[in-house]
Amino acid sequence: MKRWLALLILAAMMVAYAGRDVPAAPPQVVKIGILFPLTGPVAATGVASVNAIKLAVEIINDKYPDLKLPLAATSGLPNLGGAKVELVIADHQMNPELGASETERLITQQGVVAIIGAYASAITETASASAERLGIPFLNDQSTSPRLHRRGFKWFFRTTPHDEVFSDLMLRFLKELNEKRNLGIKSVATIYENTLFGTDSSRTQNNFAKIYGFQVVANVRYPNQTSDLTSEIQSLKAANPDVVLPTSYISDAILMVRTMKTLDYAPRGIMAQGVGFTEGSFLPTVGRDGNFILSREVFADDLRKSKPLVGQVADLFKKRYNADLEGATARSFTAMIVLADAINRAGSTNPNAIRQALLATNVPAEQLIVPWKGVKFDQRTGQNVLGDGIIVQAFDGKYQTVWPFNLASREIAWPFPSWSRR
Amino acid sequence: MEQTQVRRPPRALSPQRLVLFVFMFAALAYPWVFRLPFQRRLMVVVLLYAMLGQAWNILGGYTGQVSLGHAVFFGIGAYTSTLLHLKLGVTPWIGLPAAGLVAALVSQFVGYPCFRLKGHYFVIATIVLAQIVQALFTNWDWAGGALGLRLPLLPESLLNFQFFSTKLPYYYISLALLAIVLAVTYLLEGSKAGYYFRAIKEDPDAARSLGVDITSYKMLAMAISAFFTGVGGAFYAQFVLYIDPESVLAFKTSVLIMLIAVVGGIGTLWGPVLGAFILIPLSEFTRVALGGAGRALDLVVYGILITLVAVFEPRGLWALGERIKALVARR
Amino acid sequence: MLQQIPQVVLSGLLNGFIYALVAVGLTLIYGVMDIVNFAHGEFLMLSMYVVFWLYTLVHLDPIFSLPISVLVLFIVGALTHKLVVRRVLKAPMSAQIFATFGLMVFLQSAAQFLWSPNYRLIKEPLLSGRISLLGLSLGKPQLVAAVGALLATGFVYWFIERTETGRALQAVAEDQEAASLMGINSDRIFTLAWGIAAACVGVAGALLANYYYIFPTVGTVFVLMAFVTVALGGFGSVPGALIAGVIMGVVETLAGLLISPAYKQVVVFALYMVVVLVRPQGLLGEW
Repeated sequence: MKRWLALLILAAMMVAYAGRDVPAAPPQVVKIGILFPLTGPVAATGVASVNAIKLAVEIINDKYPDLKLPLAATSGLPNLGGAKVELVIADHQMNPELGASETERLITQQGVVAIIGAYASAITETASASAERLGIPFLNDQSTSPRLHRRGFKWFFRTTPHDEVFSDLMLRFLKELNEKRNLGIKSVATIYENTLFGTDSSRTQNNFAKIYGFQVVANVRYPNQTSDLTSEIQSLKAANPDVVLPTSYISDAILMVRTMKTLDYAPRGIMAQGVGFTEGSFLPTVGRDGNFILSREVFADDLRKSKPLVGQVADLFKKRYNADLEGATARSFTAMIVLADAINRAGSTNPNAIRQALLATNVPAEQLIVPWKGVKFDQRTGQNVLGDGIIVQAFDGKYQTVWPFNLASREIAWPFPSWSRR
Repeated sequence: MEQTQVRRPPRALSPQRLVLFVFMFAALAYPWVFRLPFQRRLMVVVLLYAMLGQAWNILGGYTGQVSLGHAVFFGIGAYTSTLLHLKLGVTPWIGLPAAGLVAALVSQFVGYPCFRLKGHYFVIATIVLAQIVQALFTNWDWAGGALGLRLPLLPESLLNFQFFSTKLPYYYISLALLAIVLAVTYLLEGSKAGYYFRAIKEDPDAARSLGVDITSYKMLAMAISAFFTGVGGAFYAQFVLYIDPESVLAFKTSVLIMLIAVVGGIGTLWGPVLGAFILIPLSEFTRVALGGAGRALDLVVYGILITLVAVFEPRGLWALGERIKALVARR
Repeated sequence: MLQQIPQVVLSGLLNGFIYALVAVGLTLIYGVMDIVNFAHGEFLMLSMYVVFWLYTLVHLDPIFSLPISVLVLFIVGALTHKLVVRRVLKAPMSAQIFATFGLMVFLQSAAQFLWSPNYRLIKEPLLSGRISLLGLSLGKPQLVAAVGALLATGFVYWFIERTETGRALQAVAEDQEAASLMGINSDRIFTLAWGIAAACVGVAGALLANYYYIFPTVGTVFVLMAFVTVALGGFGSVPGALIAGVIMGVVETLAGLLISPAYKQVVVFALYMVVVLVRPQGLLGEW
């Protein structure tokens, strides 16, 4: 009889879900699709991002008169009769085909009026193509591949700056630092994981290194999630650049720091392309070894000094989810606020109206928790043209803003101290 | 096993035929009953994986050469049609068979070293070769490298092999592909080659002593299997319009293709179809119902179910069906 | 570049011992019962979490929690045999692969369900820092891990070759029926083999946890290398796994330095293909 158990469970699952059909959207609720990787190696970031979006929705749906965010003071979306925002969350498991099919399911079956996602550029690629065909706005909060906004899509919007903006500011920062402190930084080397993220990042860094007059002495490409980085670090050691520019997801970032320490390799500066190095769990995980690493970032907790809003939201997030707000989560939060603001201005859930409202978006810098000049989409590409970044440096297990110099809460520590003297 | 050899001419309306006709009708009618893009898309994926599972089955089930590297053929197929289209402007309609041919050609290079190996050595070798191919494509900039390749959005038409407003054409193309693979498998079952395939699986030494050129027939099974897997890859590329090494060449693709056939029932005509019809919707529904919570509960259930099937019905769900049939017949 | 070679070879050697230890368990199960355990990497993951939680909750350093990890993993391995593997012994190879594959998916996702997908690291283990010797840097945890791996591998070899139980193990592997006629309970032996195999990764996980990060799918990082190690050394051969592990560790890091890190695994895998073309049974395997 045991043999039937398997089939029985299978049958039960089929029956349980086969009956599900299109639920008629009840009035007073606006459904937003949320598409992230919630299982597998990057699940940690996916889950944290969804949490940030949940917090944003809470702020939109309930009254938070103290927060200077759009829609915080009111309950729900006032122009839609106080309708509440409801999230439909989906997991794409880092699979491009699932990204596309989940997008279609969210739109056609769940009746979402817009989608936020999808973290990894490869998935955003296919998911946004599905949304494009079905004529539903797709708001991309975190993918940074420059190719994404150059596809001539009508329904694609991106709040985050892309890799070119980031690589530009990283190397511009080095140049300004050189000029300000007369440090004589001449050469850089990239070390990057071999998927889309790392490859794009290294390519743009090479371009901007040339523009700002730095010599690239090595480009070390390594396989994503490798078990060992010894030969990679040795190659860097041999090339001996002044500054190492790593582009990694979190697992490799942790391993890289540990390997550098073991092999006693300390270049004059380490400046990361965010992501693995700035994700919430990175600094707590590597502890003291993470200190003095520089990174480009789109968020730093010390921004609360110049902008109280940052502190308020970060504290709320900490209270709800027991985690620090960081680059990934702050951007997801921002995207949700921007989208809700657009839907509210559209005054309806009609996709065309929402699209027009997104095109007319103009959120000023004061209402953002990220250090951007605002949110305003390019009319043709849908890319936010006011996006910007900062450079942060880790001190005592926390990233602090060190550039632009006017936002800096701390002077840059240079050079990166050798491992034995810290 | 030899029953299939002496196939009696079926009566005009045997129960088997009736069931077959009902299924054919249901398959043709499905997209008219379930009209949502999501429902049609799900079934396209089911049909595609049924086809891939059956293609795997020709080598892994009938011939007994368990490959965990079929992502190579799937990926090569996807890349072939996509590169032909991007670099030379060749229509996907030529790209589809071309993908199959290139995959079949590659399979002969894969087969040469691998068929010298037995049992688990063979399994590991296929995994390793797939890893090598994936790494090469990841670092091959001309073929898109890690960035992958995006097919341009063209006006939708049968000629362009792109359809947006309706998924009907994708559905019927995948159905036709599955029908072709099933027909080929059916014909193979009754042919001399099919007989040799099974002989190689059951008792290679006896087959050799009877004068069967084992390696050649293994190569043949590999070529047929790879051909259809490659065609499936090209269809996938045309369906998703974006491919990268991680999505078409990775180990998980090999595993899924094999899983479909094994859970359904290897060495049977309808096992892989059954496998696809159960596994794909199952993972879809568990993910939809449980995946949004971000706690991987859907995969917990999925993993348990796979283990249960393997433990309680190692010959696959098709065998379970046969058992039920026998039980009913005895009454 | 040339002066980097000694350092890289040394680091590769240390990695190689860990590859070997992970592979020893796999090869043992294979040798005794002809089964490849696809959930082997997940056993490694479990042992790393055991050590991590003992460190976090009761501040027990990995050095001291190693025996606990070994014990827990022994039980996990034995249970795996009792609950799953025993039932698929007579099944076709493809079904065996999937029984353990399903287990792999289950363990990975259960780990995420219970302990969240976050990355963890043991921050201040007793074993930390490095030794500098003739201009070479050696991480102490890596060094201890390598020595530990070597000892554990040696112990397993001694156990199989020199003890009464080990000989019973070999007898069952040789001919199950003959062994049962001699009064050996083969099911007991199989359970033992699974226990020992899992205990091996219990050692490996506890040693790795001193310097490697921990997360639900960490097993996949190591398990592919372990498969290749087992096949290269020859299925069922413990010394083969040791030699193969060391070769692969050194070739991997050397290729990373001299050719390109992007191709380091390709070189290792290509080497494997070349070896099995010449010797289909691997370095020390028997057909």
